[in-house]
Amino acid sequence: MTSLNIAIAGALVLLGVGLYGLLIMRNLIKIVIALQILGKGAILALVAAGAISGQTNLGQSVAVTLIVADTVVAVVGLALAVQVRRRFGSLDVNELSTLRG
Amino acid sequence: MNTVIPVSLIVLPLVSSPLTYFAGRLLPRQTALARTISLLALLGAWLVFALVVRDYTAPVEFRLEGIVFRVDGLSLLFAALALALGTLAVIFSGPYMAGKTGEEKYYALLLALTGTMIGLACAADLFNLWVWFEAMVVASYLLVVFYREKSASLEAAVKYLVQSAVGSVLVVLGIALVLAQTGALDLDAIRAAGTSPLLLVAGVLFLIGFGVKIAIVPLHTWLPDAYSQSPSPVSAVLSGVVTKAGLIALLRALAALAGFTLSWSAALMLFGVLNIFTGNLLALRQRELKRLLAYSSMSQIGYILFGLGVGLYVGESSGLQGGLFHLLNHGLMKGLAFFCAGALLYAAGRINGNEHALKIDDLSGAARRYPLLALALTLALLSLGGVPPLAGFMSKWQIFVAGVGTGESLITLLVIVAALNSVLSLAYYLPVINVLFRETPSALIERGRTLPLAIIIPIIVLAAALLLVGLWPDALTWLTQPASAGLLAAFGG
Repeated sequence: MTSLNIAIAGALVLLGVGLYGLLIMRNLIKIVIALQILGKGAILALVAAGAISGQTNLGQSVAVTLIVADTVVAVVGLALAVQVRRRFGSLDVNELSTLRG
Repeated sequence: MNTVIPVSLIVLPLVSSPLTYFAGRLLPRQTALARTISLLALLGAWLVFALVVRDYTAPVEFRLEGIVFRVDGLSLLFAALALALGTLAVIFSGPYMAGKTGEEKYYALLLALTGTMIGLACAADLFNLWVWFEAMVVASYLLVVFYREKSASLEAAVKYLVQSAVGSVLVVLGIALVLAQTGALDLDAIRAAGTSPLLLVAGVLFLIGFGVKIAIVPLHTWLPDAYSQSPSPVSAVLSGVVTKAGLIALLRALAALAGFTLSWSAALMLFGVLNIFTGNLLALRQRELKRLLAYSSMSQIGYILFGLGVGLYVGESSGLQGGLFHLLNHGLMKGLAFFCAGALLYAAGRINGNEHALKIDDLSGAARRYPLLALALTLALLSLGGVPPLAGFMSKWQIFVAGVGTGESLITLLVIVAALNSVLSLAYYLPVINVLFRETPSALIERGRTLPLAIIIPIIVLAAALLLVGLWPDALTWLTQPASAGLLAAFGG
């Protein structure tokens, strides 16, 4: 198994785990973690894509930028989690369902 | 053209954003300074915009290392819309947001949002496009959750964040597929690399990923909450421009995937009609003004998608021009409608996070107390419903004419469905207008405050623009024509 295959398999596994987590998790912090796992899968996919096409530098520089953007989203998500805990006294997203229709 | 000028169109709002924040921080009780800086920055951006338009003959390209920017017709059209609503929102927010905690952050974020949207419209490589898109989305999260003590806005923001973040990941996967296949991220280079089935998959990922922001039908569930819970000027910007930024990003990305234009145009038409219909049905049962306007945005986006789809399908610029014209008009109409809703909330003193509290029955008798406001809201709603001779009619008409002009019976059928839906939409716009002109004022209207000038000015400007564009539809052709021609060329039509 080449390292490229490992990277692709890793990306697919991370994406699968992230999606599964998003679907079953009810805790807001765990949802943010699931989003992070999804994001990491996407980063790995980009690096692998750069390697496949022979543009390793392009793929990796894009991946580094992506890490920054991903972190910003995580920060906002966790800040929201802090506020949700203060307001609702719980992190369960099922409680966040007052807006309907 | 000198590249300094187009660069400063993007840089000016982005640099003034932190300046605004620090000005507000240094003088904690004097947010007027922050407001003035943001207004000056936007006026400066208008000046730069005028210079760019004056010298504009052909798309201008500039590079920073490997990052490519290109100012073309579509960028100019979108920059004009973003600047217009951004400026009016800053003016409107003066009294509206006065004295709120974090006011300086609010103006800084509004500037950052405007700047990132202009940057997005100028991005000419795929990853650059994504970075601007993500920056814009982050700025809009923070604006949606501006009333962070309110549980309803937290709920709206959580839904918005989770859905948008998943959409972003899908876009990145699409980018990875494109990179693996073509070895390039520059939109022109991708186009030159030809077709392959993998690129079709990438296009579908773009459609879903950016579709979350556009609120394409199964991905729309965040939209009513986010629009109705954010401060009204932010709702105006979100609905008027941010949603369309997703559309611009989608068009740019799809245009690079040459060879599948027919599939994309079919998808755009199909989702367009689906959006029109679903948006209308959901809007029919709304009792809150801002939620109704949010759902009506969904259906108006549908008209834009439909027009663009028709134009791409036949490879003629008339449908594209109609779609882009409707994009501009919808920004004006929905901006006006949300500003009016905001003005009523201000009058009622309900601007402290009770953004959802404005029921339609609360508008009862508003025409007596606030005749100008009632007139402006009536104009906006009639224009949204496509009543001639207002702006909304002109662009819808252009889209329908282009659709029938294709001569395909299926498209003609879709046009008929869309036109009937325009009538259906009057079923929820007209009752609101009816309530406005009732004899007995509601308790809210009776106790209402007088409106300050800064709230009235944006409303008058937008209402006048709607009338002007309606009576003289060619007023915006200078923007829509180069944009549609450029888009058509990009799609290889």
